[in-house]
Amino acid sequence: MQELIFALANGSMYALMALAIGIIYSTTRIINFAHGSVIMIGAMTSYWFISTVQMNYILAILSAIVINILLSILIYKTAVEKLGDLTNNSSWIVTLFGASIIIDNIARMIFGTEPKAFPFLFNGMDIRMFGANIMVHEILMIVIAISIGIAYQFVIQKTSFGRAVRAVSYKPDTARIMGIRSNVVVLTCFAISGGVAAIAGALIAPLTFASYTMTYAVGIKAFAAALIGGLGNTKGAFIGGIALGLLEGFVGLMIPGGLKDAVIFLIMIFVIIVLPGGILGAKIFNKGNIAAEKI
Amino acid sequence: MLQVKNLTVGYGKTEVVHNISFHVERGEIVTVLGANGAGKSTILNTVVALHKAKSGSISFDGKDITNDRPDQLVRKGIRIVPEGRQIFPQHSVMENILLGAHIVKDQKKINAQMQSIFARFPRLEERKDQLGGTLSGGEQQMLAIARALMTEPSFLILDEPSLGLAPIIVTEVFDLLKQINDSGVTVLLVEQMANSALKISDRAYVIETGNIVLEGTGEEIRTNPDVAKAYLGNVQKM
Ligand SMILES: Nc1ncnc2c1ncn2[C@@H]1O[C@H](COP(=O)(O)OP(=O)(O)O)[C@@H](O)[C@H]1O
Ligand SMILES: [Mg+2]
Repeated sequence: MQELIFALANGSMYALMALAIGIIYSTTRIINFAHGSVIMIGAMTSYWFISTVQMNYILAILSAIVINILLSILIYKTAVEKLGDLTNNSSWIVTLFGASIIIDNIARMIFGTEPKAFPFLFNGMDIRMFGANIMVHEILMIVIAISIGIAYQFVIQKTSFGRAVRAVSYKPDTARIMGIRSNVVVLTCFAISGGVAAIAGALIAPLTFASYTMTYAVGIKAFAAALIGGLGNTKGAFIGGIALGLLEGFVGLMIPGGLKDAVIFLIMIFVIIVLPGGILGAKIFNKGNIAAEKI
Repeated sequence: MLQVKNLTVGYGKTEVVHNISFHVERGEIVTVLGANGAGKSTILNTVVALHKAKSGSISFDGKDITNDRPDQLVRKGIRIVPEGRQIFPQHSVMENILLGAHIVKDQKKINAQMQSIFARFPRLEERKDQLGGTLSGGEQQMLAIARALMTEPSFLILDEPSLGLAPIIVTEVFDLLKQINDSGVTVLLVEQMANSALKISDRAYVIETGNIVLEGTGEEIRTNPDVAKAYLGNVQKM
């Protein structure tokens, strides 16, 4: 039972991370390859606010959200709008990878190379549930992920902003002649994605240690979850995230330590080969069709 | 009302519109005629700021709008019904109409405008919960026009509204355009259906490979033997 909740908690964070990738993908058709770094910065700045500034946990995460929103806007303004030609796949891939490397190195300089033990919410308090001791932190991970998923879905389906996001996602130019500022919508999606990444990074850090290497250790699972579920839709992100969490938990029971990740990635690559569009089948390598324009 | 001066537009290095000038006066219907690929859509899309001009200037109501964004033009009362209608297929009919009113924040205003749109297009009201993509071509054209009317534009641009529609629907569309014009909206129309467009037009321009080769009143152009020759197919069809 403990293992199952642990797997679900991890999985729900992968789902959030995949959702954040999907938020950007669905409006721009680009995969934010700097996303792993954004997650890492969310975790590291939360850690810094808690340990160095002595902030309260919730306030620290909120501050990290703000930092991540600013970081995502910066990534959009530089790597996407200025440098990345969205009509040319190789261009934005390079600039976003470049951004990722720069962010990781800056993080290493600021926070050092040593992995940090990240505290749990409520100091790691347990409650007795389903005949097992379950950490409140893990329950909250699941609850928060689901709440964000539902809230996002509501905004996208029911609000005027969501209607505009879907319009931009379908055809940015047609959206623009409706009076929608497509680039502002895209920028807002980058910001939302960054905020969600901060929450996911901070909540998963107690289970993984916080370090600048989270970009790869955790970030790659975000991409895996996004690809497994099918890019760009909420349901897919959750299916992919939970599937990956469970797979990890299951493989972890049978295969020790270092080999675990290798086996997981082998299975994952296999899934992606068999279902190139993810479980919910989205088109993955669509070209971006929005012109990067100054706003 | 609209003044286009020495407009040159291209895609990358290829120039497709060469130094053209034209104008549309308040209350007019002006048609731009030209064969496929002549550059008609390029001109219209440049006017509504989807493309940047290489050189030249565009002004509206005496003010320069050359460097405006599309949403600023919508606010100034300029709207386009794009080629191929460009309905959002996964949005409901209602949502398509609401997207047309995106810049309007006053919910009361939106509702009132929606009522007048539904009074004019009862078929859209019947289908308001259907997805845009499930409408017929004619209904989509009506939806595209209705959507543009949501902000009560003073200047309406239409890019080949008759494209792919049955003749009877085409007549309906042109009747509607005449009505909209009579209600005080200036209309700039691009068409290949030369005859029916020219019949409702005050003036017309003929363009060939990005140059204006002829201009005159609707009647002059319609009865011009060169035009008849060039658009013979279209003229005789009607
Ligand atoms: N997005 C584009 N990229 C490159 N060339 C284009 C593009 N759109 C149109 N063209 C070219 O510009 C010319 C004019 O096209 P267009 O304005 O669509 O003509 P029309 O509307 O009169 O049929 C054509 O030769 C067309 O091939
Ligand atoms: Mg055209």
